[in-house]
Amino acid sequence: MTSESLSPAATQTFSPEPRVASPKERHLGSGQFIRLGSLFALLLVFIYFSCMAPGFSALSNLANIVEQSATLALLAFGMTAVIIGGGGDVIRGGIDLSVGANLGLCIAIYAVSEAAGYSDVTAFLLTLAAGLAVGALNALAVVGLGVLPLLATLAVMNICAGLELVLTQNMVISSASPLLAWITAADWLGLSVTSWSFIIIAAVMLLLVHRTPWGLRLQAVGGHREAARAAGLRVPAYRAASYLGAGLLAALAAILQAARLSGSSPGSGDILLSVVLTSLMSVVFSRRLLPSIGGTILSVLFIGCLINGFQLLNVSSYWVNGVQGLLILGIVALRSLSDRPGVA
Amino acid sequence: MSRTMAAARRRDLTLAAIVRWATPSALLVLLVLFAAASPTFRTPGNLLHILVNNFTLPALVALGMTLVVSAGGIDLSVGTSADIAAMIAVTLMAAGHGLLLSLGAGLAGALAVGLVDALLISGLGISPFLATLGVLFVGESVQQLATNGGTPIYLVSNFPSAGLAGLAHGALLAVPAPLWILGAAVFLVEVLLRRTAFGRHVRASGAAPQVARYSGLPVRRTIGLVYILSALLCGIAGLLLAATVKSYVPLSGNAFLLDAIGAVFVGTTISREAKPNVLGTLLGVFLFGMLHNGLLLIGWNFYWQQVAVGLLVFGVLAASFSARRLQARD
Repeated sequence: MTSESLSPAATQTFSPEPRVASPKERHLGSGQFIRLGSLFALLLVFIYFSCMAPGFSALSNLANIVEQSATLALLAFGMTAVIIGGGGDVIRGGIDLSVGANLGLCIAIYAVSEAAGYSDVTAFLLTLAAGLAVGALNALAVVGLGVLPLLATLAVMNICAGLELVLTQNMVISSASPLLAWITAADWLGLSVTSWSFIIIAAVMLLLVHRTPWGLRLQAVGGHREAARAAGLRVPAYRAASYLGAGLLAALAAILQAARLSGSSPGSGDILLSVVLTSLMSVVFSRRLLPSIGGTILSVLFIGCLINGFQLLNVSSYWVNGVQGLLILGIVALRSLSDRPGVA
Repeated sequence: MSRTMAAARRRDLTLAAIVRWATPSALLVLLVLFAAASPTFRTPGNLLHILVNNFTLPALVALGMTLVVSAGGIDLSVGTSADIAAMIAVTLMAAGHGLLLSLGAGLAGALAVGLVDALLISGLGISPFLATLGVLFVGESVQQLATNGGTPIYLVSNFPSAGLAGLAHGALLAVPAPLWILGAAVFLVEVLLRRTAFGRHVRASGAAPQVARYSGLPVRRTIGLVYILSALLCGIAGLLLAATVKSYVPLSGNAFLLDAIGAVFVGTTISREAKPNVLGTLLGVFLFGMLHNGLLLIGWNFYWQQVAVGLLVFGVLAASFSARRLQARD
């Protein structure tokens, strides 16, 4: 055991889903109620589309949903990790507003370096380096200099969006490389590399954040920063790591997105609000009503199902935003109502 | 001993000065640099142009945000309020209704957005970030559905748009109309925040909501009102924008959001208690507006402008927050 390990009591407190629930934890009925309600809503949406939209529940379409959701999922994993490590406070808590702009910048860097004649490997590494650099800039500002995360990442978001425009001159840069072709075409068990990336990264994040000592300590840092510091955790290191991770995931998402769009096109970074929504919505899928990777996976799939189902039903895509907004409001209202004494 | 204490005290004062003067000095340095680099920049006409075109509308939105952040919240739906107001007003005018009716209905639309925010946040107890984000999404959907996916509505008929143009381009005592409106809003918000019981309640709710509640302050009503006021200010900004461009362009209000948040928090650096304040917010908005205008005039293209604004904000925040942190460490 290192000096950083937590006492059993602390681990108990911060673990999102302890395997054995004590009677006292069973008493936490409202969280369970919300979680089951949200799962029920997901199931209801799924059943509705299965009945109403022809071909919705076909395996190929389900694979399609996973593929369409991959970019959002990767970004949301990064966002969730940042929120877990920074705590849920609106202004002082963890948030990374730069993930969308970082995605756009990374796509631009990949496309531009392809266009400039660099090899696949070089372009790939440059993209990863760019994503990590953005994460490092966030970490420097938030952890190193103590700027509020909301503000620091807002400034970084502007820098990234500007650099993307400078690189692309706001024009489409198409690129077709063997790497991108492999990502979209490769087929194993009916799933493309994009889908596999989603599945593998989801599994890795799930294990890393919820099943390793490192992940538990990250949750401790976000749950109660002072307590974590008193317990001997290097708080800055964990928070910095979450921002670096978000940057790296944005770069990986950029490669997948570049493959889907065959290059860089203006506006590909306009995904921030969906990412925020997805990460915050993850709380309603967890028993303790905390952000979690598992909850993020479910909310990504929830939104993926909605978008895909609407497409199949020929419902105008203009409804999607509204339904997403109403959904989150409904779920969160339910949650805050059940938090009150005497309800649920 | 006393010498080291004196030295420490001197250092404290220096750090405090760095925090409080980071924004004003950035503003001044840029003002001088732009004036030296571009003869056009330093003409009175251009400075007025900055005030009317790069300052008034974001300042109105940022004033609302100042109230909201003072009460410990955040309003992501500012663009929605502005857009809904413009949408209703322009649609009515395009259908031939009168100017006052259209503007009134537009403001009522913004008021409705504010009421929804207030209901969600004060009534249901949803966190401001989530509540206003939800409203933003629903607002986007409403606009897309109402405009067939985002087709702008242009005003061509003469009668109401003449009065509307007066709102945007008219002048009273040689001061453009939008500046009068902004001046009134600044006065109102400043008096409300600093000179009334309501303002004290707002600040108390922001600083320590629990304590405020136990002290018997009407915290929920105060916070609800703050979102309604913010929505109204944004609605006015939306109407002015529509009057300036004589059209309604769907989803154009979201451009205000990040500048407003940025300006409010950049503005907190000039206050001793690091709290949102009207003067600081106005300085922040002016900094952004001047930067856009100045960079354009010295020949930087739009793309580099965005990078520069980001870097400048990053620099101001880094300087003031790291100095504040050094201060806290002593």
